[in-house]
Amino acid sequence: MSYARGEQVGTIDEHGHEGGRSINWWGMIFFIASEALIFANFIAAYLYLEIRNGNWQLPSELTYPLINTGILLASSIPARFAGAAIVKGNQRNLKIGLFFTALMGAIFLGGQVYEYTGLFGNHFTPSATIFGSSFFMLTGFHGLHVTVGVLFLVICLLRSLRGDFTAKNHFAVQAAEMYWHFVDGVWIVVFSLVYLLPLIRG
Amino acid sequence: MATRTIGESIRLTKRRKSFSESYIGEWIMTIDHKKLGIMYMVTAFFFFLVGGTEALLVRTQLAVPDGKVLTAEIYNQLFTMHGTTMIFLFVMPMLTGFGNYVVPLMIGARDMAFPRMNAFGYWVVLFGGLFLSASFLFGQAPNAGWFNYAPLNELTTGCGATAVSCTTGLNTDFWALGILMLGVSSIAGSLNFVVTILKMRAPGMTINRMPLFTWMTLITAFLLLFSLPSVTAASILLLLDRHIGTHFYQAGAGGDPLLWQHLFWSFGHPEVYILILPAFGMISEILPVFSRKPIFGYTFIAWSGVAIGFLSFTVWAHHMFAVGLPMVAQAFFATSTTLIAIPTAVKIFNWIATIYGGKVRFTASMMFAVGFIAMFLIGGLNGAALAVVPFDYQVTDTYFVISHLHYVLFGGTVFAVFGGIFYWFPKISGRLLNERLGKWQFWLMLVGVNLTFFPMHILGLLGMPRRVYTYAGNLGWNELNLLSTIGAFIIAVSIMVFVWNFIVTLRSGEKAGDDPWDAYTLEWDTSSPPKAYNFEVIPTVRSRRPFYDKKNPDIADWKTATH
Repeated sequence: MSYARGEQVGTIDEHGHEGGRSINWWGMIFFIASEALIFANFIAAYLYLEIRNGNWQLPSELTYPLINTGILLASSIPARFAGAAIVKGNQRNLKIGLFFTALMGAIFLGGQVYEYTGLFGNHFTPSATIFGSSFFMLTGFHGLHVTVGVLFLVICLLRSLRGDFTAKNHFAVQAAEMYWHFVDGVWIVVFSLVYLLPLIRG
Repeated sequence: MATRTIGESIRLTKRRKSFSESYIGEWIMTIDHKKLGIMYMVTAFFFFLVGGTEALLVRTQLAVPDGKVLTAEIYNQLFTMHGTTMIFLFVMPMLTGFGNYVVPLMIGARDMAFPRMNAFGYWVVLFGGLFLSASFLFGQAPNAGWFNYAPLNELTTGCGATAVSCTTGLNTDFWALGILMLGVSSIAGSLNFVVTILKMRAPGMTINRMPLFTWMTLITAFLLLFSLPSVTAASILLLLDRHIGTHFYQAGAGGDPLLWQHLFWSFGHPEVYILILPAFGMISEILPVFSRKPIFGYTFIAWSGVAIGFLSFTVWAHHMFAVGLPMVAQAFFATSTTLIAIPTAVKIFNWIATIYGGKVRFTASMMFAVGFIAMFLIGGLNGAALAVVPFDYQVTDTYFVISHLHYVLFGGTVFAVFGGIFYWFPKISGRLLNERLGKWQFWLMLVGVNLTFFPMHILGLLGMPRRVYTYAGNLGWNELNLLSTIGAFIIAVSIMVFVWNFIVTLRSGEKAGDDPWDAYTLEWDTSSPPKAYNFEVIPTVRSRRPFYDKKNPDIADWKTATH
């Protein structure tokens, strides 16, 4: 049977066999799958418009986005570090991992704001051209996800300071980590499409 | 904070019940799948009446040529909200309600996997629905059709000189925000169904022993999870166009109105199957019980449902034949659309074979189920006709399409929903709906549906376009339109008969007992209505008809059948 207590929804198997992943894990997987499909639709829209409108070149350097990408991708490491720590009940490493993941996410967002400011200065805005519309739609929607991810991590961090998580009871941390890896993974696709594709086409 | 002694605490609890223990509080705070299921169904029925009233106004306007009942603008709002309400606020929550109530019982679970998310989904539907309907209070209900084509959905200020027609009010904002809210609710609901069905089945209930309604609910939930993101993305782009000044759907600025159509229909066609697959499931539960036979070709019904699920993602552009797609695309989508008729037809044959040779009991529920097969068949056949591209050129956006979609949605889903209501009402309320009134309702509805929608075939072939608010008297459309309007009011009478039946039954209906139909599946193997925990002991399943096995231990399916 299922029971709801605090955030933890678990199952009591009435026939005494434990089976694989938790119900929460499955719920999170299908949620992320659905989110991934929203991105797939945005990416399809981006490509559809890109193909119709020809060669899109960003009026900016690739340096900042590259550094930013490095930071975001690297942030999956402390996320995994935190997730691995709490399984063993290691509170200290959990906090360290969550803190650094959230920090790196925040730095990425800061970098994105900086990049946007530069582009706006170059009169590259959402309403200027269809490329602007598409660029800010795709990167902005990803930025929104990073923001949600950072909030998710910060809430987990605050709760871990309160000592909410144990080796057995820590689904929020697991979910935050899954979500974070997803946000990272999507960025690889978005980055390749928006920044690298124009380079290949030259 | 001061600590209370035990004595004080007891006195406090005695003095007043907490809100969650009061009658209203019990419903508002509930996370029980059965209560939520009932709330879904009641809410959906309320919106059914709202959408029906809108339809009656539309038909009244069209009853005679040069109708003066409604202005063109009000007419646009009414037909848009009729479609939007019926699809998103009646059929979807109604089917979700059935799934919520019945599926956990059918699979021998005590609740859904995520009870609180279930409650969240319900409340978002309710407020999303009220939000959408509230647009009428501002006189700015959505008015660009339920599929809201660009550039009709764009703001005048953002349209530029190239746009043909644009709106200025909040109409489309209500639509887009409402759809986003309902989308959130459906995602929450469907991932709950997927996890519940995959992970919470009673011991022994393998995938191949699941009741077919559970099968169809599972497939529907997957369709929702994977198709709703398209309309979510489309609506977000639309809101950006309208309020941030982007150009996604504006041809003059490098965008493309067809992008909207692609995104919308890549949701919209799986959506069609989202509206009908659970109905298939209900029919597949009702027919065997009232024919006293196991379902014919269980495996074919289940897996043809899976085939429909996959194919439904490959047919979307058959809504767009008239926009000038490349020939290759037209050929592809015509083929895939014809292909999807095959698994659908498989089901029809299975149902007929289930009835064939059975000891048929013509209860009201059974009559709706049989009516469903006939009506859905008509809708399926004229749908297959629409897959033929040259024919589609001729009749697209005419009343022929209106006729088709109402035969499958009203003749199909609504008949199945009433079949399901008559079938499961005794379980839900403990009382049997009146059979006599039920049969009156059935015949009135059958006559009403055919009188309303059959003439529309001919109107379409005669060239009457959909969505016109009036027509001239010399086009030869007068009699057929009048017939259609009379039919619509007969349907309304049949619905009133149901409402009367519902009230009478709740007050003084015949007591049902736990198993009034001598049924086969687990939901009947518990009290009517079931206790909050559903089953005292979780049953163990050994075949596809576990309750039949329990009642007939000597000839149990698992002793005689091979599965």
